[in-house]
Amino acid sequence: MEPRGEVFVLGLILSIIVLLISVLISVWARRFTRNLGDYYVAGRSIGAINNGLAMVSLALSLTTFIGLTALIIEGLYIAVAVYASFTAAFIGLLLLAAPYLRRHKSFTTMAFISERYGSNTLRYISVVVMMIVSVLYLAGNLKGIGIVFYFLLGVPEVVGIVVGGLVVTLYVTLGGMYGVTYNQTFQTIVLLFCLMFPVAIVLRTLGASGWAFPPLGYGDMVPLMTQTVPHYFWAMVVHPVVYIAIFLGSFFGIIGLPHFVMRFFTVRDAKEARWSTVLCVFLVGLVNTTVYATGFAAVYYMQTQGVDIPTAAYDYVVFILVEALAGEGWLALAVAGSVAAGLSTVAGLLMIMGAGLIHDLYGAIKPDVDDEKKLKLSYGAMLVVGVLVILFSLNPPEFILEAIMWAFGIAAAGLGVPIVMGIWWKRTNKYGVAAGMIVGSLIAFVSWIMIGYMGMDPVEIPFPIFAKYFYGPLGWIKVTAIAVPISFILTVVVSWLTPAPGEELQRQVDEMHGWSDYDPKRYNGKGLPITVIVLSVVVMWFMTTLYDMFPK
Amino acid sequence: MSSDSKKGYKLEVWVTAICFIIVAITGGFFSSIVVIMNERFFNQVPTPEQLVPFYGESMFVAKEGFLGFPMHYFWLIVLSWIGATLIGAIWCVVMDRLEQQQRL
Repeated sequence: MEPRGEVFVLGLILSIIVLLISVLISVWARRFTRNLGDYYVAGRSIGAINNGLAMVSLALSLTTFIGLTALIIEGLYIAVAVYASFTAAFIGLLLLAAPYLRRHKSFTTMAFISERYGSNTLRYISVVVMMIVSVLYLAGNLKGIGIVFYFLLGVPEVVGIVVGGLVVTLYVTLGGMYGVTYNQTFQTIVLLFCLMFPVAIVLRTLGASGWAFPPLGYGDMVPLMTQTVPHYFWAMVVHPVVYIAIFLGSFFGIIGLPHFVMRFFTVRDAKEARWSTVLCVFLVGLVNTTVYATGFAAVYYMQTQGVDIPTAAYDYVVFILVEALAGEGWLALAVAGSVAAGLSTVAGLLMIMGAGLIHDLYGAIKPDVDDEKKLKLSYGAMLVVGVLVILFSLNPPEFILEAIMWAFGIAAAGLGVPIVMGIWWKRTNKYGVAAGMIVGSLIAFVSWIMIGYMGMDPVEIPFPIFAKYFYGPLGWIKVTAIAVPISFILTVVVSWLTPAPGEELQRQVDEMHGWSDYDPKRYNGKGLPITVIVLSVVVMWFMTTLYDMFPK
Repeated sequence: MSSDSKKGYKLEVWVTAICFIIVAITGGFFSSIVVIMNERFFNQVPTPEQLVPFYGESMFVAKEGFLGFPMHYFWLIVLSWIGATLIGAIWCVVMDRLEQQQRL
């Protein structure tokens, strides 16, 4: 897609309004920040509705606008499989981690892992994993804001990255978690409004009778679509392990992504943590199904009306459709919504990176530093991290969605597994977790370096036994189906072979589950670890089967 | 462990396990189930010989489902969205009650 030759004034005005309101919210929210707990976890005072809305904007990054529709056009089924898994994964997060993490009273994932297993070494390792995951996730989003500015507003990409990055850095630094939370709530409302309404207008123009409810409102267009593009709904026939890898990456990745987990440390209690997740999954599903409708509308528009949209412009198809079928006013709204989507995710990531560096890293190296000094350092750290990320984002990984999928895989193996096992199996100890998280995250990270960064063919990477099975479309996703199971197996086996953790560490498990007394038999059976090992082995073995059945 | 405590513990573990299995199927494994059991969802199933050269071609027509959508697509989006939300809400209600009992 060629960039606009002129500045799109209305879109620019609405985007600037979104940016300005974001800064104003943070300035307003600053009054609530009095100590380190206020700065990092909003004084643990956030209610379920506020937290649920904030989680939605955190979840719906810029990929919702500029990555998912492109994926749908190129292959509906895999796109829906990825996002269906991502949506339901919030319930996995709810069932396995959310309320328990809230009861633990840590500030961050890294603090949780360190305190649950009684090891500062694990704190340092998890900070490193967090930084890798966050940078991968963040750079793509900031780059996306630059792309939106460039293609849609006629403003150079660098200006978009720098302005967007500075605004986020400013409001995160100023407002801390209070500012981030209220901003994310505001951005969710903007995003819902700016996506749902333009898409409804697009569907109405294309003749959908149910246009008022885009997620399920285009059923009557399906017959013409299947006549014109008969394979549109055909399932992508790849080895089922691809879908199992997507499941593992989504369900355990979301638990491992520290910026999601951090939201649960901000709520009032475990009940609020639970219900905020239910609200979040409902709204995330609503938006995702609306984007499926957008992708459908795009293919329908191209195939039934003979409009040619070049492949290079698939990323911007939401905007192309809205401009062509709804008009410039709606386009301006969609642009503002996409800017809000990008900002909210970047803000959450900056917050966790700043907290990780000061609270988890510096705080562990210099434990005698008082909270007041840490608070002052946090302001500085947030600013420095923001500027560094802006610089990195000037030349980030190209394909945003792919980089984020790798981030999910690394987070699942490196952080998701230790969190889940730490909550549900008392016998898990620091040795098992160290083995699982180091090996699991390294498998995913090194594979990303070779495949995602260096561009090697997945079947040719030096990965004994399994490399030949990373074949076919999206074959690289299967790496997650190795990294996560190995992380689980090592965590369980090494924990079993080494001394059990002390009672004070095991007691945390009962406390996280809400028990006022301690019982060594609770969450200490053999059923869970054996099931985990068996399922992990089965997933890895399954990958080696059915070799001749699927396209290479 | 008192009998009430044991009952509460078992309730928490089993309800969580069952909800997780259901949501793993509706949100995670259902997409692979469609691929494995594709004859249930599509009118013509490709042979392995057809699959490679005609990958994703027009001979594979989805069966009609609900509200005009193909059956597998409808269930995929509804189960992973409304289904997952309902499972989460049910689990929350059970855990709210358990939490009340724990406090007594």
